[in-house]
Amino acid sequence: MRLSYWLRLARTRLRGLLRRKSVEREMEEELRFHLRMRAEENVRRGMARGEAERAALESFGQLGRIKEYCRDFKGGGLLETLMQDLKFGARTLLKSRGFTLVAVLTLAVGIGANTAIFSVVEAVLLRALPFRDADRLVVLWEHNRVRNRPHNVVNPGNLLDWREQAASFEGVAGFADQRFNLTGAGEPEEVAGQAATPNLFQVLGAQAALGRTLLPGDETAGQSVAVISHGLWQRRFGGSPDVIGKTLMLDGAGATVVGVMPPDFKWFVKENSLSGKPAEVWIPLALPDQLRVGRRGRYLSAVARLKPGVTLEQAGGEMETVAARLEAQYPEVDKGWGASVVPLREQLAGEIRPALLVILGAVGFVLLIACVNVANLLLARSAGRRRELSLRAALGAGRLRIVRQLLTESMLLAVAGGALGLLLAYWGVGALVALSPPNLLGEGQVGVNLTVLAFTLAVSLLTGIAFGVAPALEASRLNLSESLKESARGNVGVGRAGRVRAALVVAEVGLALILLVGAGLMVRSFLRLQAVHPGFDASHLLTMRVMLPETKYPEDARKVEFFRQAAERLRALPGVSGVSAVSALPFADIGSATSFTVVGRPPLPVGERWGTDVRVADENYFRTMNIPVVAGRTFTEQEAVEDRKVAVVNEAMVRKYFAGEDPLGKRILVNMGSQPAPTEIVGVVGDARYDKLDGELRPMVYWTPPQLAYSSMSFVVRASGDPAALGPSAVREIQAVDREQPVSDVRTMESWVADSAARTRFGTLLLGAFACAALMLAAVGVYGVISYSVAQRRNEIGIRMALGARAGDVLRLVVGQGMRLVLLGVGLGIVGALALTRLMSGLLYDVAANDPATFAANALLLAAVSLVACYVPARRATRVDPLTALRPE
Amino acid sequence: MPKQDAKLLQGTLDMLILKALSLGALHGFGVGQRIVQMSADALRVEEGSLYPALYRIEQQGWIESEWGVSENNQRAKFYKLTRQGRKQLQVEEENWERLAAAVFKVMQAT
Repeated sequence: MRLSYWLRLARTRLRGLLRRKSVEREMEEELRFHLRMRAEENVRRGMARGEAERAALESFGQLGRIKEYCRDFKGGGLLETLMQDLKFGARTLLKSRGFTLVAVLTLAVGIGANTAIFSVVEAVLLRALPFRDADRLVVLWEHNRVRNRPHNVVNPGNLLDWREQAASFEGVAGFADQRFNLTGAGEPEEVAGQAATPNLFQVLGAQAALGRTLLPGDETAGQSVAVISHGLWQRRFGGSPDVIGKTLMLDGAGATVVGVMPPDFKWFVKENSLSGKPAEVWIPLALPDQLRVGRRGRYLSAVARLKPGVTLEQAGGEMETVAARLEAQYPEVDKGWGASVVPLREQLAGEIRPALLVILGAVGFVLLIACVNVANLLLARSAGRRRELSLRAALGAGRLRIVRQLLTESMLLAVAGGALGLLLAYWGVGALVALSPPNLLGEGQVGVNLTVLAFTLAVSLLTGIAFGVAPALEASRLNLSESLKESARGNVGVGRAGRVRAALVVAEVGLALILLVGAGLMVRSFLRLQAVHPGFDASHLLTMRVMLPETKYPEDARKVEFFRQAAERLRALPGVSGVSAVSALPFADIGSATSFTVVGRPPLPVGERWGTDVRVADENYFRTMNIPVVAGRTFTEQEAVEDRKVAVVNEAMVRKYFAGEDPLGKRILVNMGSQPAPTEIVGVVGDARYDKLDGELRPMVYWTPPQLAYSSMSFVVRASGDPAALGPSAVREIQAVDREQPVSDVRTMESWVADSAARTRFGTLLLGAFACAALMLAAVGVYGVISYSVAQRRNEIGIRMALGARAGDVLRLVVGQGMRLVLLGVGLGIVGALALTRLMSGLLYDVAANDPATFAANALLLAAVSLVACYVPARRATRVDPLTALRPE
Repeated sequence: MPKQDAKLLQGTLDMLILKALSLGALHGFGVGQRIVQMSADALRVEEGSLYPALYRIEQQGWIESEWGVSENNQRAKFYKLTRQGRKQLQVEEENWERLAAAVFKVMQAT
């Protein structure tokens, strides 16, 4: 019997598959016959014909639905039921295309945005670093307790002592970022590189893709060697394998290439790494024991590998002990200095982590709103499907079975939304990377991979459950016999389901407001940042950097002479109104800072000495940059050529250290250069921002080039027209002085300033986009619920109008009902936003996290948009014709 | 209506249909009518339950169907019992009697 059953089942199925149409027709014909018989019987019982037919139809439910159940009822096993549910669900969804389209699109936006952001989070915060046991890698810093800078670069002498005394580490490597002039075949080029203790690669656990890495001993061997990056290998050597043994001209000196690193080896840990470039060349750095004597300067970064079993806390504790010992031993250098141990991952992600988490939270809210919207759609729809569901229940489908059926439909929607969302994410990730500030998201690093895929799948399924459960439970709660009897046009809009929908609208409006306020705060913050005057005029300025190789320009005078000559040639270019050279550009280069004393004042104890930034600039700098002279004078041409021991300081310096005094004529001893000598303050200029637009203004000392000859200077060229157009001719003029000299970062000053605000702009852009999506979804939600309620209340509205209600009354009724929900949502949203925006106060500049103007403006915006969303269906309600509304179907 | 009713209905509906058909072939509407008649108007079969039950039973192989002409000259699908169906009816009748007797005893107990 089993076998025959299966055979028959197979035959039926096959028949159903091959002759779908005829099976359908037969089923329909049979049911129609039944209806006719029933109607005839009703007529025999004395009903009018029309009434008899309607009664027959009513007692049967709708034909189509019955057919569904009949199809539906051909099966048994669990898998079969699932397949049935899936097929049935798909059919149901395909039948109401409009609903399905809206739901899937809504979900796709929510899931897509989440997937895109998650793929960034995955790449930046979660993905394993491309180093062996990367969790045991830590970055070591010196901790300047006086200036509260826990991540300060390291004194090489201290590094040697750490290496010797700290038992927590398997190895400690030091490195310093360096720029090289790469010459030889092809255009001269400036590349970023590192001088690293050769054990760097062992500490990181990184292997060369070709040849070998640096090895201990390289730093003392007579021959210069270098390891290059995959990118440089491709660019300069065309990826040729015989690069090993070739000579690389670095700053005019040859170094033998011994190895090429793999493409995923990206290594840079600079505290302000976002403006830096990943290193492309590594040369060995020697740390001879003489460095322990004198211990001048801090310039090394350090990375170390924890021994197995040593925790971060243990290592941190030990480093504090070692640092305390060194502080006692070398007070003139180490007084006030401790040590910090930071996990590598935290160091790399540190700067963008808070912003990323806020954005992840925001995008989660968008998904929540999308869920609420779809739940609302489903609820409205399941109210319309009450009779169908009651019939199914009457046919013996248990409550669980119905919930499962409805959940299957939700899952189908969610998975379809997820699939579309994945597409959106794929596209979105590209846009994210393209829009992101330089170095925030590594090239080719962020993408849709397996982890992201799993995330999307999980999110889709959770989403399906989240928006599907409430409507499913709600629908299965129906009183079966009641709703079978109830006419299809009952008062479905009110009651339990209506209240759930109202609550969902309130929730959705609240969530949207939180997002809007968050985005609003970012926008305000960004505008404030944009409004900050940098202290100089960035417009019409072209900048470029020139780094002279030490080997070719060993004497200070030659360096100074080169920059003067080049500046003169630049000045002669048509369309140039001013040229100057400076040791470090605002927002572009990392400048020098040191301590200083005022001659004649009692010396301060070590560790409490005053600090200042130092820039070297020629006599044209302040005029070219439009930095105002506040007191005294700037440098003379004479002073820019001969070493005259003069200094210009900024107002911050005067405010901080010369309050109530005349700084002019004061002599200060700045601890910089090989033989520090007192210099006289001859002028005070306005504060220019160098580091970033926000943050405090730091004291600054300007010196002339002969006082401290830098081998790397940047030119600022003021153009009367478009500064970028000057680029090629400017490079030509500089190379006319030295044909082999690379010129790098030829860019406008404005682009540097823009980059400095790029992260805020990026965050603002993302949050703004998500808030817009939230606003749109919330408006759609309000609109949907109000239109549904209007459709449900056609009768009531018709009666009201028949009884004399005017269009205005109906409008007020409907809009009032909607706006009550919206205002409740806005109220709750304000409370929620007050609680949540505090979390992003670290991202804000000059705006309080509870800024009343932002709150009010966004509440108004949301209310206004919602008003429109209520008004449109309300208008429709006023056009209800009392007669049609009252006429029975 | 509590769902126990629905369950009882589902279990017994199959048997009632088989019984109705044991007296000769009928179209769907006729099956419903005959059950009403046989129960002296005490039982009414919901159309929404009837057809799914018919399809289900047909799938089991207990009944088979073919198109014919109804008493009022319309094309209709007629169902008739198969040999297997007759056996099944017998089994179900026996089960039912056992169950009914048992329930009766329980309800009589004091």
